[in-house]
Amino acid sequence: MDMSFSNQALVAAYLAKHHAELDKGRVYDVPIEIDEEVARLKLSSMGVEIDTLTPEQVKYIASWSEGT
Amino acid sequence: MPLLEGSVKDPSLAEAGRSRIAWAGAYMPVLAQIRDRFEIDKPLKGVRIGACLHVTTETANLMLALQAGGAQIALCASNPLSTQDDVAAALCEYGIATFAIKGEDHATYYSHIESVIATHPQISMDDGCDLVTAIFTKHKDQLGELIGGCEETTTGVIRLRAMQREGVLPYPIVAVNNAMTKYMFDNRYGTGQSTLDGIVRATNVLLAGRTLVVVGYGWCGRGIASRAAGMGAHVVVTEVDPRKAIEAVMDGYRVMPMDDAARAGDIFVTVTGNYHVVREEHFRLADRPRHDRASRLRRTVRVARRTQDLHSRRRAPHQPRRG
Repeated sequence: MDMSFSNQALVAAYLAKHHAELDKGRVYDVPIEIDEEVARLKLSSMGVEIDTLTPEQVKYIASWSEGT
Repeated sequence: MPLLEGSVKDPSLAEAGRSRIAWAGAYMPVLAQIRDRFEIDKPLKGVRIGACLHVTTETANLMLALQAGGAQIALCASNPLSTQDDVAAALCEYGIATFAIKGEDHATYYSHIESVIATHPQISMDDGCDLVTAIFTKHKDQLGELIGGCEETTTGVIRLRAMQREGVLPYPIVAVNNAMTKYMFDNRYGTGQSTLDGIVRATNVLLAGRTLVVVGYGWCGRGIASRAAGMGAHVVVTEVDPRKAIEAVMDGYRVMPMDDAARAGDIFVTVTGNYHVVREEHFRLADRPRHDRASRLRRTVRVARRTQDLHSRRRAPHQPRRG
């Protein structure tokens, strides 16, 4: 329940800050920033490190002009 | 407004509750970091939160994190059977108005939801939509006070989406269930493990060699199926979604209609969020007496979290920390 309730806590804080920007009659997904933050914190608590994309990779994966 | 004091079985249980809450907290390192941040930033300063969740050690740690962030909180149970009375007592001592008694009857259960609503929450926190529904149907006058809500579970999200479709959802709700860091882990690994734990504790059956029917191949179903297979059970899956059915087949399970599964299975686990999934006619098809026993397991998902917490309680005083 660690990650699940971490989402709850961060979403409560998100609602307190951003509620005025939200539509009343709508179900929202958890903002991806919160989801990823929870995952990062969990990995860090497990002592697991991961890679990041290089700037070249970021550019390549977002473009359509280069052949695959 | 000042928060009410709460309604719990026995305030003198608080000390036991505190130590079990701390034990669970030691396994919630992410929430602990968030709580530390909240202590400093106070992102919920003065915000009133009404929560309707399983009143367990894990929930208690969430409540304490929200409180550290400056929130005023009232909590009631989202299931009358999952409440841990010592945790409820400890939470009251921590200043979280808690209205929950294990085994409370229908009337008390709903009166406790009313007590939470009486604290005029600005954020609702649900696990199965009970709070939203009660506010919407019986306390429309308070709707203007609500800035938003969060929903913990798949079934609640399905109902909220139905409210959205009908144009009656009264305030924005964030589907916490739909965070990848929720459903991929809580549903698959948490429910997967604790459901089997509950079945084994309740029945003492050896899973190896038994045929275990998993009704529904969502994230919970996937977790239960893979764990049961790992313990030597023959897993049968029933589905209504053709895509998930293919996935179950390719994951190596037998997939068949419930009529056939009723004949094949020894143990049945429903993880669909729907009702009338295993019906009387299916029990008639299953002519072996042990299905009577399985019939008591029909609500295993609800049982799941409770047994998970029982597990940590048993372990808490005696065994060293893992890892």
